[in-house]
Amino acid sequence: MKLDPASLNAWFGARKSLKAWLGLSALILAVLLPLIAGNNPYLLTVLILMLIFIIYSSAWNLLAISGQGSLGHAAFFGIGGYASAILASRLGLSALATILVGGLFATVIGVLIGLTCIRLRAWFLAMVTFGFAIIVHTITAELSWLTGGWDGIPAKRLISVTIPNYLLYEYYLLLLIAMAVIVIIYRLVRSKMGLALEAIRENELEAKVMGIDVTRYKLTAFAISAFFTGVAGALEIHHFGYITPEVYGIDISFWPIIYCISGGLFTLEGPIVGTIFITLLDAGLKSFGLTYERLILIGLILILEVIFLPRGIVSLPRKLKARLSPGHMPR
Amino acid sequence: MDLGIFIQILIWGLFAGCIYILLAIGLNLIFGVMKVVNFAHGELLMIGAYAAFWIYSYSRTNPYLAVPLAMLLMALLGVAIERLGFRPIMGTGKLNEIFLSLGLIYLFQNLVAYLWTTNSRSIRSPYGDVAIPIGSIKLPLDYFIIIVITVVFLLAFHLFMRRTILGRAMRGTSQNREAAALMGINVERMDMLSFALGSALAGAAGSLWLISGQLVTPYTGAIPAIKAFAIIIIGGLGSIPGAIIAGLTLGIAENVVPLLMQAVVKLFGISMSFTAWKDTIAFFILIIVLVIRPTGIFGEKGE
Repeated sequence: MKLDPASLNAWFGARKSLKAWLGLSALILAVLLPLIAGNNPYLLTVLILMLIFIIYSSAWNLLAISGQGSLGHAAFFGIGGYASAILASRLGLSALATILVGGLFATVIGVLIGLTCIRLRAWFLAMVTFGFAIIVHTITAELSWLTGGWDGIPAKRLISVTIPNYLLYEYYLLLLIAMAVIVIIYRLVRSKMGLALEAIRENELEAKVMGIDVTRYKLTAFAISAFFTGVAGALEIHHFGYITPEVYGIDISFWPIIYCISGGLFTLEGPIVGTIFITLLDAGLKSFGLTYERLILIGLILILEVIFLPRGIVSLPRKLKARLSPGHMPR
Repeated sequence: MDLGIFIQILIWGLFAGCIYILLAIGLNLIFGVMKVVNFAHGELLMIGAYAAFWIYSYSRTNPYLAVPLAMLLMALLGVAIERLGFRPIMGTGKLNEIFLSLGLIYLFQNLVAYLWTTNSRSIRSPYGDVAIPIGSIKLPLDYFIIIVITVVFLLAFHLFMRRTILGRAMRGTSQNREAAALMGINVERMDMLSFALGSALAGAAGSLWLISGQLVTPYTGAIPAIKAFAIIIIGGLGSIPGAIIAGLTLGIAENVVPLLMQAVVKLFGISMSFTAWKDTIAFFILIIVLVIRPTGIFGEKGE
């Protein structure tokens, strides 16, 4: 790195350091939270699922960065979960090892379906991925000799239930995994590949003209996204301790979209912020005994954000600042 | 296989195809005029079915009389969706349409579940006991009425699009929006009208679905709508004849293919049911079609 004042200035740029500080304090909070709140199993379960979904929605977002909006990521979630659960129970392997195998399995299937998808326009891609998720759902429900059908199969826990405070260990383990995934995705997005994906999203033809290998990058995005989605699925079922086709119904495909939109699409922090925001909102409303009302509210939030805040919560500070500053021009 | 059962399944497929066609034509119209895709179209079918159910429960008249009223209500709802939802995001990217539809799906499904619970609703048609004997088998009269009503709707729709000034204006808008605007067509009014007509057709599909004796829950709409999408992709975006052919094919294929599979597997000495695969057939066809031709069978080059 050159050490001229301009690049130093950029390095220590006010916004960047603010973001870094926010990230660091969020991390410290995440580490301390279980200690402050005590060993509350309900809270820990909510937080564990939140971490799993942060991985999941970050993976979905990576695909969206390349302009491919999938409506069928539940398929990869389920494939990762089943592959990992079956391997762990049949071969007696540790859940930590089979999670990676589940992710790899999801990658292979993801590349196969991706080969079809990368040629398709936005709606067609949404339809094919949605249909693919329904097909995978039916296959797992019907292949009962392997998957246990609708009854499902048991899966090893990540941390054995016999260990005292196992949820606490599980939480910290997941925090580590989630951080690793976020760092990997950060490196990817900031690399040449990230730039290529964004160029493809903005204008595929122009990207091609610039010499970007569109097919390769789109397929790579599909593979990586499927891998982390499979890992997230495997983590969830090893947290639950069982898997049935109901664990990854149609709505599992929709949640990462809701998280990413509410947080901020195409950004690194958007899926994280959105997952935390919606999960807390959801858990809060659930504790009041609201069922349909909370889903109505989440639907409304989604609609209003798409119309009025298409860049999500993370764009809110900038938007407010622009509005408050003198000489503001309405767009 | 028994020929009688085969004909029965064929007619059932024809009926299911009619429902798909009504949905697909509406979607196609909206897509043609506005170039947006409303994935929440199935929720209009579901709400239309509920509207017909409540109209019938309170008035206790012939349920077929509830169809036009349900269509009118859905047309109003469609206009509201267009005005408040899709118009503000037009031209902001195709992903946004998918996301907005997703919000609408969550909103409508859970609003209906909240208001009227998730208990399944159904009504008994006054002609429920009447059956037409064809050879050795009997077919319910309602299926025939519904098939005839669909044909009438399709003819009326065709005449409207071809013979009236309004219909021509809509076709003009779908062919070239800028040129249509320059010719003095109020294209935004055409957007509204296309949404109203498309939603009314979805309302017709929903109320006819209910009258045929099907159960209706808040989650009824999702799968038929996605299948209607598969139909318009297979039949070609914007192509009405394509949608009719694809809709009928799908309706029949869904009901015949599982039985054929069962018969084929039986030849190998395995007895296995394929009824659970019914909902996946549309997507198998869709994926195969798109692998071969990424623009759909009758698809246009553009878009």
